[in-house]
Amino acid sequence: MILQNLSIKRKLTLITMLTSSLALVLFSASFLIYDLVSFRHLLSQDLMTQAEIIGYNSAGAMEFKDEPAATATLSALTAKEDIVTAVLYKPDGKIFTHYSRGNATLPGDLPSHLQERGYRFEGGYLDVFHDVTLNGEHLGTLFLRSDLRQWSQRAKRYASILIVFVLVSGLFAFFVSSKLQGFISRPILHLEDTMRMVSVNKNYGVRAVKSYGDEIGKLIDGFNTMLSEIQQRDTVLQSTNGELKTRTQELEEEIFHRKQTQEELLNAKHAAEEANRAKSTFLANMSHELRTPLNAIIGYSEMLEEETCDSGKVENVQDLKKIQAAGKHLLALINDVLDLSKIEAGKMGIHLETFEVSQVIDEMVTTLQPAAAKNANAIRVHLGDKLSVMRADITKVRQILFNLLSNACKFTDHGTITLSADQIRVEGKNWVQFQVNDTGIGISPKQRENLFQEFAQADASIARKYGGTGLGLAITHRFVQLMKGKISVESEAGHGATFTVQLPAQVVVETTESAAAEETSHTSATVPETKPDMETILVIDDDPSVRDLMSRFLTKLDFHVVVATNGEEGFRLAKKIRPLLITLDVVMPECDGWTVLSRLKNDSELAETPVIMVTVVDNEARGLDLGASNYLIKPVQRDRLAVLVEKHRGARTSTITEDNSAAVSYVADSKAGQVTVGTRASKSRRN
Amino acid sequence: MLRRLTILIVALSVSLSWAPAAFAQGRDSSDSSEYLIKAGFIFNFAKFVEWPPATFAQPESPIVIGILGTDPFGTIIDQIVQDKKVNGRGIVVKRLKWGAEPKELKECKILFVGASERAHLDELVQTLRGLPILTVGETPGFAEHGGVIRLVLEDNRVRFEVNVEAARQAGLTISSRLLTLARIIQQTTVDTRKPG
Repeated sequence: MILQNLSIKRKLTLITMLTSSLALVLFSASFLIYDLVSFRHLLSQDLMTQAEIIGYNSAGAMEFKDEPAATATLSALTAKEDIVTAVLYKPDGKIFTHYSRGNATLPGDLPSHLQERGYRFEGGYLDVFHDVTLNGEHLGTLFLRSDLRQWSQRAKRYASILIVFVLVSGLFAFFVSSKLQGFISRPILHLEDTMRMVSVNKNYGVRAVKSYGDEIGKLIDGFNTMLSEIQQRDTVLQSTNGELKTRTQELEEEIFHRKQTQEELLNAKHAAEEANRAKSTFLANMSHELRTPLNAIIGYSEMLEEETCDSGKVENVQDLKKIQAAGKHLLALINDVLDLSKIEAGKMGIHLETFEVSQVIDEMVTTLQPAAAKNANAIRVHLGDKLSVMRADITKVRQILFNLLSNACKFTDHGTITLSADQIRVEGKNWVQFQVNDTGIGISPKQRENLFQEFAQADASIARKYGGTGLGLAITHRFVQLMKGKISVESEAGHGATFTVQLPAQVVVETTESAAAEETSHTSATVPETKPDMETILVIDDDPSVRDLMSRFLTKLDFHVVVATNGEEGFRLAKKIRPLLITLDVVMPECDGWTVLSRLKNDSELAETPVIMVTVVDNEARGLDLGASNYLIKPVQRDRLAVLVEKHRGARTSTITEDNSAAVSYVADSKAGQVTVGTRASKSRRN
Repeated sequence: MLRRLTILIVALSVSLSWAPAAFAQGRDSSDSSEYLIKAGFIFNFAKFVEWPPATFAQPESPIVIGILGTDPFGTIIDQIVQDKKVNGRGIVVKRLKWGAEPKELKECKILFVGASERAHLDELVQTLRGLPILTVGETPGFAEHGGVIRLVLEDNRVRFEVNVEAARQAGLTISSRLLTLARIIQQTTVDTRKPG
C-alpha cells in the first residue's frame, strides 16, 4: 500500500485531514438531511396553509358560483412560483375552475379522481387536497400541486454551500495539521537524521536532541543511552585493538629476536657437537694409543714377575709388582674416563642377558680379594634364598659391584665388608637388591651431597691418601640409572657406610639394537657341541706384543696357540686348523676384524667356532651382532679371559666340568691374610 | 400572509367589475329566473353576515327575512329557505307593509326593500338607524342612500353593491369573503341628500 510508505509527516497530515473532513462531511450530511426533511415538512405545512387560505377565499366565489372571482383568487398563485397547478372542484367532482403556471391549459397528469384530504409527495410533486367549506357546508375541493422547486433549490444551494464549506475547512485543516504535525514528526525526523548520521559516519559521539517529554522524548533518551553505550564499547574496543596491535608488534619483535637467538643457539649447538665429536674422536684415539703401550707394560711386567719368581730373584719381584699395579691403576683411570665420556655422550649401550646372580657375586668377590687383603679386610657374602637369575647388562652389574666393593675395601682398614644380595618385591615388581656394607671411615652428611658427582671425592685429601679418580661412584650411579634402578647410601662418619643398589630383576630397554644383540649373545651362549680341534686357540692380531702376550698366557692355561698377523691369514689358518676358539682384533691393516668376523660366521665350517673379540675398539654391540661370543677390551683382564676360554673348553669337553670351572675362579694371593670367598674356597691356579 | 391576503382581496375585487357572467340561469333572463337567483343571494347573505349576539332572544331564534313593499319573489324565496338552517337557526320569511307594523319591521334581520318603497327610502333608513338589520334593495342609489346591499343586474348577471359604512352603523359584520365579491359603495351621496 502506498499510504504505508508515506513519510510520517504526510501520514500525520493525512490522518488529521481525513478525520476532520470525515467528521465534517458526516455532520454536514446529517445537517443537510435534517434540514431537507424538516424543510419538506415545512413546505407541506406551507402548502396546506396556502390551500386553506385559497379555499377560504374562494368559498364565497364557490357559494355565489362566481367563476371569474374564483379564477381571480387562484390567479393570485402566480406569486408562488413553485405551485404548478391549482384546481377547484365542485362537490360533484367536476372542475369549477383551475390555475396553471405559465399557460392556461390544464396539464394532463392531474389526479384522475379526488383523493383523501391532506398532502402527499408523489412523482416529484407535493399534492394537497383541501375541502372548501362554509359554515360546515361542503362547497367543493381545492387541489394544489407544488413542484418542490423551492426544496430542490434549497437542497442544491445547501449542498454547494456544504461542499465549499468542507473544502475550505479541509484546506484550513491541512494548513493547521501541516503546522501541528511537526510536534510529532520533527523529533522523529530528527531522530532518523541522527541515526543516519551515526550509521553513515560511524560517529557514535552524536546525540539526538530531546524536544519534549513524551514517548518520543523517551525514545530519544533510550537511543542516546544506547549510543553512549556503543560509544563506550567502541572506545574500549579501539583501545583494546591498539593495545593488541602493540602487543602483536612486540610479539613479532620478540619472535624475531628469538629466531635470531635460536639460530645463534643452533650454530652454537652445531659448534658444540662438532667440538664434542672432535673430543670423542680424540678420546677414542687416545684410548687406543694409551692402551696399546699399557698392554705391553702390564703384560710384560706380569710375565717378568712370573719368570723372576721362577728364577728365584725375589728382590726384583716387588718392583715388578709396583710397575704392574701402577699400570693397572692407569688402565682403570683410562677406562673410567672413557666410560664416563661415553655415558655423557649417551653412547653407553645396554647389553641384556640372563645370568645367575650368585655366579657374578662369586666372580666379583674373587676379583676383589687382593684389594680386600691389602687393608686386611674380610669380605663376607650373604645370599638371599629367593636369589636366582636376573636379566641385565652383566658387564655393568659386574662393574657396579666392583666399584662398590673396591670403594669399601679402599676406605676400610682391618674391617669387614659385607655384600648382601636378595630378590625383593616392591610395587608389584621384582628387584634384585645388592647391599655393600663396610666398617670404614664412613661419609659425613655434607660429603654425601656430592657423592655421586663426577670427579668429586668426599674430600680432596682423600685423593692423596687413598688414590682413585673419584669417578667410581659417579659411573656406578649412571649405570644404575641406565638400568632403571636405584642407588642410595646410609652412613655416619666414622661408623662405616652402607650402599644399597636395587635393579629390576628383568631390565627392559626399548632399543631394538640391544634386543638383537641379546638374541645373538643368547644363541652364542648356547653353542652346540661340534667337532673340536682339541686345545688349539687361534689368535689374530697385528700387534706383535699382543700376539706374544696372548700366546704366553694361553699356553700357561694348557692351550695350544696359533697366531696370525692379519685377517686374511687368520681366516686361512682357521679353515686349516679348525681351532677351539678364535681371538680377534678389530683394527688391522688391509682386512679388519669386522670383515674377518663376518667371513668366519658366513663360512659353513667355521660358523660354530666361538670368536672372542679382543680389541681397543669399544663397540661390543656390533661385535655381538656379527656373531662374536664375547667382547673384551684391551688391555685384557687376564683373569676374565681365562674364565671365558675355560668356559669354552668346559663346554666342549663334558668330562672336565665341575673341577675345571671351579679352578677358573681367581683367588688372591693369601699372603695379605685369610680370605673367605662365599661358602667355598678355591685353590690358586696361577701356576 | 396578511399582505398576500390583501393582494388577493384587491385582485379579486378588481376582477369583479368586469368578470363575465357565469350563471347559466342568468342568461335567458326572465323575472322568475332573475328573482330565483336574487332569492338565493339573499339566503346566502345570511351565511356571510354576523349579527350582534344580543339581537337574537335565543340561540335557536330564527333569522327573519322581511319583504317590504312589492314582493318580486312570490313563493320562490319561501321554497329556497324552507328547511334550511344557518348557524343552527331556521329562516322565516315575513311580508311587511311600510307604516303598518313598525315593531315587526324592527324585528327583521334581513329586510328586502321592494321597488315600491323608493319614495321614502331615506325615512326608512332613518327609522332603522342603529338597528342590526341587513337592508337589501335593488333600486339604483339604494346603497348610496344608506342601504347596506343593493342587488344589481349587469350583463344578465346578478351582482351586488355593499355600503360598508351602513353595515358598520347597523352593527353588522360582513365577511370579507362576501365583500370580495361585492362592489363597495361610499355613503357620500346619502349625506348630500340628507339636509332636506
